[in-house]
Amino acid sequence: MEVTTWVTKHVGGDGSGSKVFTEAFAPGETVRDVLRRCSARFPELDAALWSPDRAELGEHIEVVVNDAVLGVTHGLDSPLKNGDRITLLGQFMGG
Amino acid sequence: MSPTATASRPAKKPAAPPASVPGYAGKLLRVNLSTGKIWTQPWTGDMREYLGGVGLGAKILYEEVGPKVHWDHPDNRLILATGPLAGLPVWGTGGLTVVTRGAQTDGATSTQANGFFGAALKYSGYDAIVVQGQAKKLSYLYINDDVVEIRDAAHLKGKDTWETQEALEAEHALSGHRMSVYSIGPAGENLVRFAAIQGDYGHVASKNGCGAVMGKKKLKAVCIVRGTKALSPHDPRGLVQAADDIAHDLKTDPATSTLYRWGTLPGVSNLYKLGVLPIKNYTTNLTAVDMTTWEPAKLRAGFDHRGHQCNACGMHHCHIQVIGKGPKAGELVDEPEYEGWSGAGWQIGLTDKESITWLNTRLDRACLDVNEFGWVCGWVMECMEKGYLTEKQVGFTLAWGDVDGAYRLIRMISHREGFGDLLAEGVKRASEKIGGEAAKCAVYTKKGASPRGHDHRGRWEEMLDTCTSSNGTMESANATHQTEIGLPGRINPFNGEEVARMVGGILGRKHFEDSLGGCIFTFRTRIEHLARALSAATGWTYTLADAMRLGRRTAAIFRAFNLRCGIGTDVEYPSPRYGSKPVDGPAKDHNVMDQWERMREVWYETVGYDIKTGKPTRETLKTLGLDRLAKDLWRK
Repeated sequence: MEVTTWVTKHVGGDGSGSKVFTEAFAPGETVRDVLRRCSARFPELDAALWSPDRAELGEHIEVVVNDAVLGVTHGLDSPLKNGDRITLLGQFMGG
Repeated sequence: MSPTATASRPAKKPAAPPASVPGYAGKLLRVNLSTGKIWTQPWTGDMREYLGGVGLGAKILYEEVGPKVHWDHPDNRLILATGPLAGLPVWGTGGLTVVTRGAQTDGATSTQANGFFGAALKYSGYDAIVVQGQAKKLSYLYINDDVVEIRDAAHLKGKDTWETQEALEAEHALSGHRMSVYSIGPAGENLVRFAAIQGDYGHVASKNGCGAVMGKKKLKAVCIVRGTKALSPHDPRGLVQAADDIAHDLKTDPATSTLYRWGTLPGVSNLYKLGVLPIKNYTTNLTAVDMTTWEPAKLRAGFDHRGHQCNACGMHHCHIQVIGKGPKAGELVDEPEYEGWSGAGWQIGLTDKESITWLNTRLDRACLDVNEFGWVCGWVMECMEKGYLTEKQVGFTLAWGDVDGAYRLIRMISHREGFGDLLAEGVKRASEKIGGEAAKCAVYTKKGASPRGHDHRGRWEEMLDTCTSSNGTMESANATHQTEIGLPGRINPFNGEEVARMVGGILGRKHFEDSLGGCIFTFRTRIEHLARALSAATGWTYTLADAMRLGRRTAAIFRAFNLRCGIGTDVEYPSPRYGSKPVDGPAKDHNVMDQWERMREVWYETVGYDIKTGKPTRETLKTLGLDRLAKDLWRK
């Protein structure tokens, strides 16, 4: 799992570059399950990643699975397989 | 007095316009280059509804430029407008909006730049300059408070935009921020269809060939000495409070904090991860280059740099830098925006950072739009690689990433030399002329507007916006705090209906922003803050709903203007390459054209326009308070 740009501030980084974690998961676990477990370890990430009611993703962090944005090959409730890569990409404006 | 305690909204038909409105200069500067006449026109009557900037420009364009007045006709207007917040202590309020009938679409144009022009104009006592006619010889406009003169510019002929500014600064013994200069380089003088207007070393009103319009009028430059007239907001304390809230929002909101810190630099590495960075003319979305070296901190640290802020701006956005290594070492250049890195870099297969930043500034100096140049140059490179264009046709061999070849192309286009004469028409016209397989490689809209510097096959909202817009570029632009107006915070980027509802739903926001005299980047805050600042400046109370309605009015006026010019729904499509299916990368195999017609249907429904005729419906126009436009558009 790769956390990039300003989102790294929420996982102990300096707001630039990226931080990479390896997350173990059980068979059948989904993108949502892994994100929940990861964000539970980092309260600031938890607040930033999810909507206020915590049911869905919030506005400002894009989730990319295997180089494709959510909705292309994976949804939040798609199961993961070994070697899948989740990237958390901070929203930015401009350009 | 707080903004909420400002004067209530006036009745629909006030008995008489106020003598003056706080925040405004209250005058338009009129210049007829054919006759040499210069005069001022009081403006106090309708700014409550037209605001300034693009709102004012759209009104003037619609009222004064008829369907037979094409972009190169002397009666075309070149409107250089600013707005009620320009010159006031809100970040980035040196804004300039250029409105005209542009050379690429031969339709309405609005394009923005920053720097100090808008503030200098207001301090000189004018809300806008409206230029008409055509000078007999190359001229420049000199403004120093009440002294306004059309002066001979023979000594500036052929100079690039930075040389022009340097020459005028030397001539008037004014430098730094004491004089703002917006000018055209050789590309504008030679009527290149994608010529831009550049000013204050690195700020560019680039869209739809507004520089060609200025060139046709033989107007080399407009220089404004920073004026001496005071501006008085209605509620100074309320204005400062709103300005503080805007600054705080920009610094702390997740969506804008990177913009505050790095400007648009994060775009390169981020958009690559989304398949939105254009690489080699849409032939791939993958690269072997280490993208961690393209993160914003590393991009900026790679050059000796310093801040180059616009009027009253506290962002860490614009920078001037020095090239530190390579053959161009020692040259002073503008730090490219994201679109510079893409158009003068990735799109043409160039990834050497020193070369890109040098080429980007060369484009600014020649006054060429970096987006359209990228599409033109990348097209030539791909066609030469594939044998669709030959060395004999082009005049030399141009391969991917060849910076010297790209610069040679800039000069050929700017001076309309050899093959450059055809390329100066833009990639749409050039590729149509060449035809065959080459025509299939060109990235453009059928309307003629240049796509921005992204691969829109991974960002459908921008493709739909570019194709349906009426202002020669994106009209809705990116969603910003869209939950503020009841739209979802997140959509599926490949669900056409969701995309179209978003693009249609946010229509109006950007026109509102561009009416105020500020910067697109410092105005990426909540509309509520902008409306409060505007209320405090003018004394009229504006709400979020007012802001969206006034922005949509401007969009409807542009749409009516274009329909009158014969630009209809038949050209709301991407070229075959622009609308093609990505072959690799994050958006691989997603085909926007599978959903295009449905996207158009939903967009038309959302904005309240009629899909058959392209016209805003009577009901929409009535809601917008544009009954007069309804009579023009819907009369039998």
